[in-house]
Parts: sequence; structure tokens; C-alpha cells
Amino acid sequence: MSDPIAIGLAGVSKRYASTLAVDDVTLSVAHGEIFGFLGPNGAGKSTIVKMILGLTYPTAGQIEVLGQPAGSLKARVDVGYLPETFRFHDWLTASELLHFHARLARVDADLRADRVRELLELVGLKDRADDRLSTFSKGMMQRVGLAQSLVGAPRLVILDEPTSALDPIGRRDVRDRIRELGEQGVTVFLNSHLLSEVEQVCDRVAIIDHGAIVAEGKLDELLSAQEIEIRAGEGAEAAARQALGDAEVRALNGRLRVRVANDEETAILVQRIVEAGVSVYDVRQVGDSLEDLFVRVAERGDV
Amino acid sequence: MSAHLIAFFTLREALRRRVVLAAALLTFGYLVLYGVGVWFGYRDLQNTPGGPPGLTEGVVNLMLVGGLWSLNFIASVLAVFLSVGALSGELDQGTLHAVAARPVRRSEIVLGKFVGFTLMLAVFIGVSASLMILIVAVITGEVVGASWSGPFLMLLASMLLIGLALAGSSRLSPLPNGVIVFTLYATALIGGVIEQIGDVLESAVMFNIGVFSSVLVPTRAIWDMASAQLAAGGFAGELSAGPFGASNPPSGWMLLVAALHLAIALGFAVRSFERRDF
Ligand SMILES: Nc1ncnc2c1ncn2[C@@H]1O[C@H](COP(=O)(O)OP(=O)(O)O)[C@@H](O)[C@H]1O
Ligand SMILES: [Mg+2]
Repeated sequence: MSDPIAIGLAGVSKRYASTLAVDDVTLSVAHGEIFGFLGPNGAGKSTIVKMILGLTYPTAGQIEVLGQPAGSLKARVDVGYLPETFRFHDWLTASELLHFHARLARVDADLRADRVRELLELVGLKDRADDRLSTFSKGMMQRVGLAQSLVGAPRLVILDEPTSALDPIGRRDVRDRIRELGEQGVTVFLNSHLLSEVEQVCDRVAIIDHGAIVAEGKLDELLSAQEIEIRAGEGAEAAARQALGDAEVRALNGRLRVRVANDEETAILVQRIVEAGVSVYDVRQVGDSLEDLFVRVAERGDV
Repeated sequence: MSAHLIAFFTLREALRRRVVLAAALLTFGYLVLYGVGVWFGYRDLQNTPGGPPGLTEGVVNLMLVGGLWSLNFIASVLAVFLSVGALSGELDQGTLHAVAARPVRRSEIVLGKFVGFTLMLAVFIGVSASLMILIVAVITGEVVGASWSGPFLMLLASMLLIGLALAGSSRLSPLPNGVIVFTLYATALIGGVIEQIGDVLESAVMFNIGVFSSVLVPTRAIWDMASAQLAAGGFAGELSAGPFGASNPPSGWMLLVAALHLAIALGFAVRSFERRDF
């Protein structure tokens, strides 16, 4: 537990025959963090999740999970997973499915019955415990899948689009469950193509598009960040650097490109440049703000 | 170790499958018809005077070996149907992902399924063969050539097919896999016939083709061993060797070939399944 990283990806790529599904992804998720992984369909989210679980093998890079190489049995004991397809053997009852997974997850025999009962209650399926899964609706199947992912009392829970089959109330329930997990110190890795879903529960997010991470950080910071271009007189660059630090400022064709966290920062920056005795001729936003990027890259949910 | 969990899960699942129910019903109906056939056949035999000594034993034995031959066939078809989609079929459906993310080795999934299907076939062959031997013994009052090794060899033949089907299923979808496994099974059957004809015609080429097919897929050769075990000696043996078995049964080496075959098939299934992306 001395290792603060729950999940670490270093330079991970995955190539299928013709598509590069994941392109050099480096990422880390801290213990106890609720991490949102956001991107449109086909961006590579599920592929990354399956590589983290050792179900699919990367063509390049390293993955570490709970201090073990991805896919090692030792790590898997403490990991819960809800697959995107949430398909389970439907000749089982809900209770039988959870018992089977509890045994696979090496839950002590005397804990299993209570654990299964509690989880079925938690996902609102207590009354259906002894019904065959073949009689379940998609939404019920996804909820039993969530219970399945928690049956081993995992330290890390990986949920791949956990609300795709749920109505708004079901979605809210799942958000509540995720928050509870966060309060218990469980690390949650949440895959979603819905901004609304991750923005309400996640401590930190990464946005993935075409297999590559395009932004990463705290959501509110990412949302307000933008790039501006300033046309100003001699000495503007030095003034801007003094105000913001080197990393944020680039000179381009005699203009300055500056990454700012929000509108307020833009105002302060312009003020500093003017205070330094440099004329500012033009300030405009260039490229996308991250919010635009979100809208372009991911869908806004309607919850 | 979680292989036993997968094995029992596989057995439970198999017991609920339609194909198993169908096989059970089919076999039950078949056993009833079989019993009626044996009863009338035996009565006619009793009423026919003359004939060489040992004729009765020979015919009774022939009926038993022929009956078990058809059970062996049903068992083989059942073995292939059960296991042909066991790996890739489940992956396509998505039912394997949550299981495979548990602390379970992929080799345990493959071998657990193998054991589960084998148990299923052991139950099927054990029950149906015992009933058949019982039917013959009760009706005719003779226990001719009934031997434990017969049903065990039948089970071995089914295990070979399960191994093949699992090896294919590690990569192929159920349908192409089923086509390939049944083709191999048919090759072995036809190879056996060619071997017998080659034997009679003293054609070394035909004989060797047959032997080669037995090494490629030993199911038929294993049945030939089983029928040789089941056949009574002397005239009775001569009678039953013809239609349902080889006139000269394979040597004990065939068991080694079968064991190697199974080991290679399962080894391939495990390695290939371990390496594939889910
Ligand atoms: N087994 C596979 N074979 C070939 N291409 C695949 C396979 N799995 C995923 N892909 C491709 O990889 C890309 C990423 O897919 P995926 O990880 O499922 O995206 P997401 O989960 O973000 O919707 C897609 O272009 C998809 O078509
Ligand atoms: Mg996906």
C-alpha cells in the first residue's frame, strides 16, 4: 500500500490489424480517486479498460494495477469490473450469479450469503434475487452487473458505461453508489461518453479521442481553461511570462499564445502587460476551449 | 485455484442446455425401442432350432455392441455440440468477460470447461451404457462381453472430441469450428472403413491411409478398441467384429496416441486462448 498509484499506464498503445485503437497513453489514477474516463464511442475507452484488467494485451507500454502487472491474479482479487456489454449467464438467478462471482473473487464462505443479500438490496433487486436473469430487463441486468462488480469488496472498481441501459433514476442511483464507494476509500475508474455522468461524481477526468488523451485534470479547471492569442508591442512576452510562468506562454508569428485557466486570468494577464508599458492591440480566443472540445468530443447527457 | 469452480459451473450449465435434454430424450426413446428389439430378437432366436453352437451368445453380443455403437455416436455428437462454442462463443456473447477478470487463469477456464464437459459425458455414457447392458442382461439372462473398459473407452473418444472442439473454439466462432470438428470426426470414420477394406483387399496404401486417419483423429480407433473389449471371444466375437468394429483391433499403442492427441489439443487450446484479446 506504500505505492500511491492504483492504476498506472506508461506509453500504452494497442493496434488492431488496421486501427490504432490506443495511441501512447500515459495515465495514473491515485488510490481512493474517482476517475472519469471520457470520450466518444470508438475513442478507445473499453480497450484501455480491458488492458488494465489483462483481458486484452497492449502492443506497447506497461500497465500496473494495485502495484502488480496488469492481469496478475494478485491484483484481480481486489478489482471489480462491470463490462460494457453487461451480459451474464442468464440461466442463473441473480443470487446464483453473485454467489458464483463471490467464490471466484475468493470471498470467505461465511461472508458470501450476507454480501450477496446486501448487494442485491443496494441495487434494488432484493425482490428478484431468485429470478432467472433471462427474465430481467436490460436495466436490471446492468444493475445486477454493478452488484457483481462489488461482490468481492474490491479496492478498485472499473465500470465501463455503467448507466447505458438505465433511466434517469437508475443513473442517479449509480452516481450515489459511486459516491459511497469514494467515501469508503475505494478507487473508481468510470468509463463514459457522457459529460454529465462524470462531471457529477469524478474528482479528476481524462478525455480521450481517437485513442489519445487530449486533456486531463480536474473537471472544472479543464472546463474553464482556454487558449488566447495576443497581439501586442515589444516586451509583451516577458511581461506575460512574469505573470504566468514559462510553460503557459509561446511566441508564434510575432504573437503570443497563452493558455489561461479562465476569463479572469485573461483580464489579469492583459492588465499586467499594459502595466509593463506594452501596448495591447488585439486579444482573441483561438482554437477550442475545453468546453467546446467536450461538446465536440463527448456528448452532453440529458440528466 | 479456481478450475473446479469453472468445471462445476460448466457441468451445471450443460445440464440445463437444450442439447443435453434432447440427447437424454433421444437416448431414452432409443433405449425403449432397443429393449423391444432385443426382446423380440431374443425370442425369435430361442424359437429357431439348430444353428452353430454359440450362435445365441454371438447374436446377443452383437446386439449389445451395436447398441453401444449408437450410444457412442450420440455421445460424440453431444460432446461436439456442448464444447464447440465454449470459448469463442462465450466471448462473442460477452458472458466470459466478467468471469475472466476474476482471479482465474485462462488455463483454468479452458481446463475447467474440459473437465465439466467430460463429467457431463461421463454421466451420459455411464447412465445410458449401464441401462443398455442392464436391458440386455435382464431380457436375455446373459451378460455377454459386458466390460467396464468399453464405456471408459467411449468416454475417451468423447474427450478427444471435446479437446479438439476446445482447441478450435479458442479462436474460431462456433459454426466454422463445428464444421471443422465434424469433418475431422467424419474423416476418422471414413478412414476406419478404408482401413478395413484395405485390410481385406490387402492394399497397403488403403490400410495406411486408415492408420493415418486414426492417428490424426483417434476417435474411431478408440471405438474399435472398445468394441474389441466388448466383443465376446470365439464365434461370438467374429460375428460382432464385422459391422461395428475393426476385424483386427488397434494395438494398445493407440491409447498412447490418444493421450498424446488429447494433451496436444488441450495444450494448444490453453496457449491459444491465453494469447487472444477479449
Ligand atoms: N477486437 C477488436 N478488433 C478490431 N478493432 C477493435 C477491436 N476492439 C476495438 N476495436 C476498435 O478500437 C477502437 C476503440 O474501441 P473501444 O475501445 O471499444 O472504444 P470505446 O470504448 O471508447 O467506445 C474502435 O475503432 C474499435 O473499432
Ligand atoms: Mg466502450
